[in-house]
Amino acid sequence: MINQLHNAFTLFLSLLVEAIPFLLLGVFLSSALLSFIDESRLINKIPKNPILGAWIGSCIGFLFPVCECGNVPVARRLLMQGVPSSVAISFLLAAPTINPIVIWSTWVAFGDRPEIVILRVVFSLLIATFIGWVFSLQKNPQSLLQPALAKRLAILNTYKKETQQSQLIVQRSEPTPILSQSNTKVLGQLSNTIQVSKNITITSIPSIPSNPNSKPKTLRPFIENVFTELRELGGMLILGSAIAASIQTFVPREIVLSLGQGVVSSIVAMMLLAAIVSICSTVDSFFALSFASTFTTSSLLAFLVFGPTIDIKALGLLLSIFKPRIIFYIFALVAQLTFILTLGYSLFF
Amino acid sequence: MTSTIRMKPRKSLDLLPILDILAILAWGILLFKYWLTGTLRLLIHPNYFGLVLITSIFLLILGTIKTAQFIADKNRFRKKEDPAHLALFPPGVGSTLLLTTAILGLLIAPGVLTSQTALQRGISESLPEVRSQPEAFRLSVKSEERSLIDWIRTLNAYPEPEAYVDQKVKVSGFVVHLPQLDDNYLMITRFILTCCAVDAYPVALPVKLETSRANYPPDTWLEIEGTTIVETLSSNEDGDKRQLVIAAKSLSKIPTPKDPYGY
Repeated sequence: MINQLHNAFTLFLSLLVEAIPFLLLGVFLSSALLSFIDESRLINKIPKNPILGAWIGSCIGFLFPVCECGNVPVARRLLMQGVPSSVAISFLLAAPTINPIVIWSTWVAFGDRPEIVILRVVFSLLIATFIGWVFSLQKNPQSLLQPALAKRLAILNTYKKETQQSQLIVQRSEPTPILSQSNTKVLGQLSNTIQVSKNITITSIPSIPSNPNSKPKTLRPFIENVFTELRELGGMLILGSAIAASIQTFVPREIVLSLGQGVVSSIVAMMLLAAIVSICSTVDSFFALSFASTFTTSSLLAFLVFGPTIDIKALGLLLSIFKPRIIFYIFALVAQLTFILTLGYSLFF
Repeated sequence: MTSTIRMKPRKSLDLLPILDILAILAWGILLFKYWLTGTLRLLIHPNYFGLVLITSIFLLILGTIKTAQFIADKNRFRKKEDPAHLALFPPGVGSTLLLTTAILGLLIAPGVLTSQTALQRGISESLPEVRSQPEAFRLSVKSEERSLIDWIRTLNAYPEPEAYVDQKVKVSGFVVHLPQLDDNYLMITRFILTCCAVDAYPVALPVKLETSRANYPPDTWLEIEGTTIVETLSSNEDGDKRQLVIAAKSLSKIPTPKDPYGY
């Protein structure tokens, strides 16, 4: 028993030592980008076509290499800056997988089976784009978003229109006097809106139009963010690695094999595991690696595709963006698509 | 009144930053120690040693910067407003987990994978198909200069046991007793690492002894000299199969090598 424990501890350490460099790199990049990059410039370039928009949304992860722990706040910020909800949903689903660090760490773990690396990217892109496109059919964001956020967006839109109008007036006519008039008008209407909507705090209004990254770009917030993320993600990584090492050491091989060799049972088991173990996508391929010799390729793929999209710990924050029903739809769609795609892979290859 | 006001900051005394700093520094030290002492060999593939070294240095720098910031901060013990961020754990739990693990890692050295793990993962005498093909292997002119892993790779490249009969063998590895083999057979085994210990897989050749294998308990490291023969054995999961066996002439116990895995 002592031997077994020591063995499990060695495997646990091995997972951690292999994963921590990638975790640190991910945290560094995401903190740097969150602290130093202005996303509003990017938003203006998103195409209007729903499928193309959803696809671009899926690929934004390449610029914001955040894992599933960092993508919710970014998606929320994107929404607040006027990105369509379909694009934000695509980003939410794809960003944790479609980013350079995750692809690299998957390659390190599964370089000898390149199909896993490639299909992880392809399936995630397909799923995120498809779901983004599905939600783009709903033009009215109020039916998707959480009421308070929807209200905030509505006010933001009114404000934007007013600003545009006022700018038009400024462009067409003589500058000084009218500018001051129109600005007063906007401000007047804005204060009316504030009075009307009780849920909105006054402090939230000025922060919307201004760039949220306008905080001082010093080292301190960057270091703060690195520490916060390392603490949270490192803690999760430790729990996840402990689970993986224990399953590998203490669960008899016959049981693992009987579960892992069935086409359907292996996919279902790995998807369940992905939902339970919310290990960060930067390092989840190492977790999956501990099942590489006992589970089917399609089930490993199911874990790698489904895992980053579903995250119990992000649920709280997701609820601050979407209505609960919509979150359920998103997860149900992702689960079904992952199952169908990976089952298809196992049947045809 | 004055005393109550003075008490307030003490009540919200915040030691979390210290915990954070300790956790990050401890991991920096642990990774650096693993790199320095060569313990990394027991955990991950050598391709990633450099990555671990860089990480350890970054963690140490990060810990130092944070310490400096903490010391320079006049309100260092006052609770600060936590920025809106994902928090799965109550404050301090993540850092405590990190710190505890690092301390355990500093206290308990990782071990070498054992015969039990080899049995758990299923011993093979060939490289599984999905695995990467050997990066480079030189077919030594003298058969007795081939390591166990060279032998496995040779067999993998041309899996015809009869082609190698009656060659001299000198290999080292650890002992695994396969329950389905007779008492005078043991498996001389090594693990091959592709990424980290988690996916290390055992490769082995059967050894025919003149005595009982009870003299060589599992996990004993042996250097075996002998010649190759071909026998029908059921040493793998596929059932009976003609395979290359080492007929042992001499077996000597050796200490566990510092570099126990193949790559």
